[in-house]
Amino acid sequence: MPVLEREMSEASFFVESPEAGRSNRAQLLHKLRHQRAALIGATILGVAILTAVLAPWIAPYDIHTQSGPVFGSPSWKHPMGLDDGGIDMLSLVMWGMRISLVVGFAATFVSMVIGGSVGLVSGYFGGKTDTILMRITDYFLVIPDVPLMIVVAAIWGPSLFHVIIVIGILLWTGTARVIRAQVLSVRERAYVKRTRALGAGHFRIVARHVLPQVAPLLVANTVLTVAVAVFDETALSFLGLSDPSRISLGKLIANAFERAAISAGAWWAIVWPGVLVAIIILACSLLGGAVEDALNPRLRVAHLSARTFRLRPLVGRGKEAL
Amino acid sequence: MSEALLQVEDLHVWFDLEDGGELHAVQGVNFSLEPGERLGLVGESGCGKTTTALAIMGLLPPSATVSGRVLLDGEDILAGGENAIRPHRWVDVAIVFQGAMNSLNPVQRIGDQIVEALELHGRAKGDVAKARTAELLESVGIPRGRASRYPHELSGGMRQRAAIAMALSCNPRVLIADEPTTALDVMVQAQILELLDALCRDFHLALVLVTHDLPVVAQLCNRCAVMYAGEIVERGPLETLYHHPGHPYTRMLFAASPDLGMGDEPVLSIPGAPPRLDRPIEGCPFRPRCDSAFAACGVRPSLLPVGSGHDAACHLNTAVPA
Amino acid sequence: MRGTDYVLKRVAFAIVTVFVAVTINFVLFRLAPGSAVSNLSRVPHATQQLRHALEQQFGLDKSKWQQYVIYLKQLAHGNLGVSYENEQPVSTNLRVALINTLPMVTLGTVFSIIFGVFTGVIAAWRRGTKTEGATVTTALAFYSMPTQWLGLMLIILFAGILPTGGMTNEFLLNPPFWTHVKDLASHIFLPALTLGLVLYGEYTLIVRSAMLETLGEDYVLTARAKGLKPRTIVRTHALRNALLPITTLIALSLGYIVAGAILVEIVFSWPGIGRAVYDAVLQRDYPMLQGAFLVLTISVVFFNLVADLLYFKLDPRISQ
Repeated sequence: MPVLEREMSEASFFVESPEAGRSNRAQLLHKLRHQRAALIGATILGVAILTAVLAPWIAPYDIHTQSGPVFGSPSWKHPMGLDDGGIDMLSLVMWGMRISLVVGFAATFVSMVIGGSVGLVSGYFGGKTDTILMRITDYFLVIPDVPLMIVVAAIWGPSLFHVIIVIGILLWTGTARVIRAQVLSVRERAYVKRTRALGAGHFRIVARHVLPQVAPLLVANTVLTVAVAVFDETALSFLGLSDPSRISLGKLIANAFERAAISAGAWWAIVWPGVLVAIIILACSLLGGAVEDALNPRLRVAHLSARTFRLRPLVGRGKEAL
Repeated sequence: MSEALLQVEDLHVWFDLEDGGELHAVQGVNFSLEPGERLGLVGESGCGKTTTALAIMGLLPPSATVSGRVLLDGEDILAGGENAIRPHRWVDVAIVFQGAMNSLNPVQRIGDQIVEALELHGRAKGDVAKARTAELLESVGIPRGRASRYPHELSGGMRQRAAIAMALSCNPRVLIADEPTTALDVMVQAQILELLDALCRDFHLALVLVTHDLPVVAQLCNRCAVMYAGEIVERGPLETLYHHPGHPYTRMLFAASPDLGMGDEPVLSIPGAPPRLDRPIEGCPFRPRCDSAFAACGVRPSLLPVGSGHDAACHLNTAVPA
Repeated sequence: MRGTDYVLKRVAFAIVTVFVAVTINFVLFRLAPGSAVSNLSRVPHATQQLRHALEQQFGLDKSKWQQYVIYLKQLAHGNLGVSYENEQPVSTNLRVALINTLPMVTLGTVFSIIFGVFTGVIAAWRRGTKTEGATVTTALAFYSMPTQWLGLMLIILFAGILPTGGMTNEFLLNPPFWTHVKDLASHIFLPALTLGLVLYGEYTLIVRSAMLETLGEDYVLTARAKGLKPRTIVRTHALRNALLPITTLIALSLGYIVAGAILVEIVFSWPGIGRAVYDAVLQRDYPMLQGAFLVLTISVVFFNLVADLLYFKLDPRISQ
C-alpha cells in the first residue's frame, strides 16, 4: 500500500523529550478516541477477532458435517445459506475468519520483526550499513510481490506455515522504510545526542529513547500491514497455494469459484466470505490510517477549497477607537 | 474631507481550532491609508499582522471567520465575501510575500506567471503581454532574458524582484509587502528595500509593510502601527514612536532592535511570551510582560489619541498622577 | 549535468534490479532443496528424450555456478526453456499471453488513474464536507475488496448482459471486423472494470493527499491573490505540481496492478499472462512459471523506469 507508506515516512513527532513522549501517548489516545474512523475500525476489528477466537463455541453448526441441502439458500436456520457440501456458511465464515486473521497477524509479525529490525539498524547506524540495507530494500520494493509469493509458495509447497513466512518475507520492506525514516529523525533529536555524549551504550539509547518514539508509528504500520497480509492470503488461497486442510475466508471464495457456485445461483457462497474479508481489510485501513494521521502534525492549512472564509456581523468593540 | 484610499474598520478574524474552539487572531483592528502613504505594521510573530494583511485582500483560509469592514475608496469590499473581493485583487491591491521560493509556482516560468496576471485582468495578451513582462522585469532590475527561467534558477533576491514585478503588473494602488526581505541576506535586503522605495515613489503607491524588523520599517515608512495580541496598541509617525512611545511594548520593541540609526541604546530583549488567543483576554494583554503595569491595567485599554496623529492603548497615558 | 546523471542512475538501478530478479529466479528454481526443475522425476509425462534435452539445456550435470552462467546465457538469447505442458518454447507462449493481457490491463489502469485523479481532486477540494468523507470511504471500500471477489460479484451482476469468460466468442468463426471489435469490447469490459475498480481507490487517496499538500503551498496563495478563479488555480497551479508525487506513487503501485491482473484473468478466463501463471502453478509447469515471473518482473521494473523518467521530465527542478 504505497500511499500510506509514503504518508507515514513523512510523519514526525511533535515531542522533544522522552518525558513529554509519555504524555504524548495519552494525548494520542485521546485524539484517537474522538476520531470516528479509528473507532469504527477498532470496533470492527475487535468484533472480528472476538468472533474468530470464540468460533469453536459460537459457530452454530459443525463445519465438517452436512447440515442442509447442497447450495441451500439463506433461511432462518441458515442465515448465510449453505455451501456445495451442504455445510452451514455462517459457521464456515466464522472458522474462516480464524485462519485469515491468524495468517494476517502472524505474517505481519514476521514482517514487523524483519522490517522493524532492518529499519532500526539502518536508521540508527547510518553510513554504509544504511546504504546497503536500503539498496536491498529498494530492489525488493520494485519486484512485484504477488508473483514472487506465488513462485515461492508453488515451489515450497502449500502449508499454513509456508504461507505465513512467504507473505511476511515480502511485506517487510514497507515497514523498514517507514521505521528507518522515523529512527533517522529521532536520532537527530537533541536529547538523543546528549545521551550519546554522556556515553550511553547503543542498546540503552535504542531501548529507552528510540523505541518509545518509534512504537506508535510501528503500531500504525502493523495494522496496515495486517490488511495487506489478509489480502495476500486470499490471493494465494485463490490460486490454490494455501494449506488445503485449513479454511480461510479466501479459501471459501476459491472453493465457491471452483465448485461453480455462481452457475448454481448460490451467490451466498461467494458474497459473505468476500464481504467479511473486505470489512476486515477496511477496518484495518481505517484504524491504521487514523493512527498515522493522528501522529502526523503535518496538517498544513489549505489555502483553497470549495468552502471559503465566513463573514460575521460587526462586533462593535473597536468602534470607540476610530 | 477626502476619503482615505484604504480604510480598515473594526477587523476581527477567528480561526477554527481542531478541538472546536476558536483562535481570535485579529481583535478589532482599525487603520487608514492615504494614496502614496507608507504604513509599517510591526509586531512579534503571531501578533496578527500577517492575518490582518491577508484579510484586506480576503486571502483567508476556509477555517477563518471575519467581521469588520475593509473600505476601498469608501466601498466595503469585504462585505460580499470571496466572490465580491476577487475583482479587486491585483488591480487595486497587490501583495508580495516573504521567501519568494515558494510564493512563485515552481513548475512555471517566471515570465509566464506575469503574463498570466496581465491576461487575466485584460491588460495585455499574447506578444504584447510578453513585451510588457520584459519591461516589468527590467524595471525591477532583472534582465529580460530571464523571463524564460524557472524560479529555482534565480537567486533569492531575483525571485523577490520578480514577485514585485508581478505584483505591479496590473497597476495597483496599494501594495502590501509581507516580510519582503526577511528571507534574504543583508546586502540583498538593502537592494530590495531601495527598489521598493523607488517603485512606490514612482508609481505613487500606498504601501503596507508588514514586518517584525524595525530597521526595515525605518527605511521605508513614515507611519507605523504596532500590533500586539491581535490588536493595534500604538500608531503614529515613526520618529514620534521612537522618541515618545506611548506604550511600554513599543518602547521595549524599539529598545530591543539595534541599528535603527536613531540613537545609541543598549539592546534588551522582552522576556515572557504573548498571551494565548484561544481564550478571552482579561485586562491589558501586555500586562504580564509589562514593566510598568499597575492597578488600572486590569481593565483593557482602548486606543486613544496621545498626540497629533499619535494614538496608544495604555492606561499610563490617562492615569492621573497620585 | 544533473539531468543525464539522474537518467543514468535510474537506468543502472533498473538493470541491477532485473539482475537481482533473475538471480532470485535461478536460486528459487534450481538451488532450493528438492528444487523442481533439477528434480526431473517431477516433470509430468516426461519422455526419455525430453529428460535428456532438459539435462543438456540446464546443464544439470555441471556445477551450480556453471549452471548459473548457462542460465544467463540462455536468457540473453531469449531462451526461457520449454513448457512442460504444450512443449512449446516458453517465450512463444508468453509472447501470446502478454499480447492478450496488455489491452485489458491498460484499459483497467487508465480507467483507474483517471477516476482516481478525478475523485482525489474532488475529495481535496471539498475538504471537510460530507462529499470528501463519502468519496474517501467509497475509495477505501473498493480498495479493500479482494480482486477475485469483486470480479465474481460483477459476474453475478452482469450475468446474461455481458459475456463473463474468455477473450472472444469462440463460436464466431471469421467474423467481420466490426463484429470482432464489438465482441472483443464486450469481453474486455468486465475484467477491465474489475481491475479499474480495485485499483482506483489507492489513487484517490494518493491524489487527495498530494492535492491537500499542494493546496497549502504559498504559490497557491499567490495565485489566489492574483485574482485567479479557484478552478483555474486547482487546474494550472495545484494539480500541475501535485502530478509530481502522484506520478511516483502510481509507479510504485505497479506491482499491485500485476497482482490484480493475475486474479482478474483467472476469474474471467482471460488467456493472458496472469492466467498463464495460474495454469503453470496448477500443472506444475515450472519453466512456464519461471518464465512468467521473469517477464512480469521485468515489465514492472521497466514501467517503474518509465515513471522515473516521466517524473524527471515533469519536474524542471531536476531536469535543469
